[in-house]
Amino acid sequence: MSRRFRVNGSDLTALDQVSLDVRAGEFVTIVGASGCGKSTLLRLGAGLDVEHDGVIEHGGQPVEGPSLDRGIVFQEPRLFPWLTVERNVGLGLENAPLSKAEKRDLVAQQIELVGLTGFEQAYPHQLSGGMAQRAGIARGLVNRPDVLFLDEPFGALDAITKARLQGELQDIWAKEQVTMVLVTHDVDEAVYLGDRVVIMSPRPGRIRTIVPVDLPHPRERTSSQLAGIRNHVLDILNSTTVGLPAATAVQPTRQKRPLAKSIPAHAALRAKPSGKPLFSTTEI
Amino acid sequence: MSTASKSVSVAPASAQLRRAPRKLLNRRALDRFGIALIVPLGLLLAWWIASSQGWLPEQILPSPAYVSSTALEMVTSGEIFYHAGASLQRVVIGFLFGAAAGLTLGMAMGLSRRVDDYVRPLFLAFAQIPTLGWIPLLMLIFGIGEALKIIVIAKGALVPMTINTAAGIRAVPASLVEVGHALRFSRLQTLRLIVLPGAAPSLFTGIRYGLTHSWTALVAVELLASSEGLGYLLVWGRQMFWLDVVIVAMVAVGAIGFLMDKGLDASEILVQRWKQGEDS
Repeated sequence: MSRRFRVNGSDLTALDQVSLDVRAGEFVTIVGASGCGKSTLLRLGAGLDVEHDGVIEHGGQPVEGPSLDRGIVFQEPRLFPWLTVERNVGLGLENAPLSKAEKRDLVAQQIELVGLTGFEQAYPHQLSGGMAQRAGIARGLVNRPDVLFLDEPFGALDAITKARLQGELQDIWAKEQVTMVLVTHDVDEAVYLGDRVVIMSPRPGRIRTIVPVDLPHPRERTSSQLAGIRNHVLDILNSTTVGLPAATAVQPTRQKRPLAKSIPAHAALRAKPSGKPLFSTTEI
Repeated sequence: MSTASKSVSVAPASAQLRRAPRKLLNRRALDRFGIALIVPLGLLLAWWIASSQGWLPEQILPSPAYVSSTALEMVTSGEIFYHAGASLQRVVIGFLFGAAAGLTLGMAMGLSRRVDDYVRPLFLAFAQIPTLGWIPLLMLIFGIGEALKIIVIAKGALVPMTINTAAGIRAVPASLVEVGHALRFSRLQTLRLIVLPGAAPSLFTGIRYGLTHSWTALVAVELLASSEGLGYLLVWGRQMFWLDVVIVAMVAVGAIGFLMDKGLDASEILVQRWKQGEDS
């Protein structure tokens, strides 16, 4: 799957021949330098961006726009300042075919899940950054989506809040069994949370390699195995330089794909390259 | 989040929620009220001295005592209420027409770039012509009856309402609109849940300016041709050289305008409770 933007009159390939399968229930993290197209990939997956060559599928259905089966959490909490926490979370259910009581219960459950009980009637400006992002996560989850996309959700938080929320997100993932795709530029975060860490290289955005993290959840932040994997990921990232010849960009997902097929019952996300030849790209 | 830290931070948040309404009547507000009275009292004193010393002829500057007895007379006879009521009725009707038209036009301009491109230049030129500048032309079309007055008042409200509505809608953050998109909001839901609440502060500004403009336009059209209303009272008083009546009418115009503005201010605070304490 490829994605080109027109920048100053010339085509810019943000994503080039990217192929990624995400298994149901999996936690995939995507890391890479800025400009590697990781956020674009996420937006395409969520259906917020629909211009691309190739195929994006969710559970066998083509992704043609946003869906309530796919939740999204942005870097900024993006809460509506004029609504209370409760009503902000409830926005996710605005178009859900449920009764008022069912919606109220779901909202209360989500608020409890993210640890905001007692703050239902608070307005966003009364919340700290971490609490606001919790509300953002609750809004993304309230529909019980198959997949939750998270675009650098903890990027704007201080280190302590960040670490706490990472732990909570891992708990939520384990408890709710939601597939999660998290974009980050924080290698520690990617390795700590991900079953697989997708490393992307910039200009054009490509998947450089995918590092599996075969450690059981919940993980110990300080474990030496985790540190080893983190160093490995850092090495790969450091060797990922601009202007890498296309031929060396391997596509390890090819080997991974049968894995998704082996679990046909589960809804899987899939992005495949098109058969069409690529445009030449212009670098900026 | 640990239980301990949760209970610690619950207290300030809920305390803030409760404290918000009481802010309207704290000591600082009372102090400000007292300070605001200093200048009017000084002016009153100067007026009193000027008239008692005979600096201006009594026909031109009646004494405060005389004016206040006239005011009392007009209040007890109900005359002032009759005229104020007539004026208020005109303003309400004219303002409602003007504000509704301004809201519609402003929303169209705010929501559609194309409508904005077509309409804005002409609209801005239209807005540059003072309300009073329209009266000669409108008089020829509509005569000098009620229709003229309502149209002139409506025009006073239309311009600020349109500009502020359009600006408010434009200023709604695209990031929030995208949240609505991700949650599959329909156009109507986007309008109701994101665009209108997001534009509300600006809408209120438009309503306030609109009402102020309507009120000033009202007095101007009533000076022109009418047999009741505060503007009529001003003209009539001047023609008969009843300067006490003129002053009473002026005070009434100012007081009503002031009260309307304060009333809107209070309703804005009520509607936008979520903002309370935001900047504290």
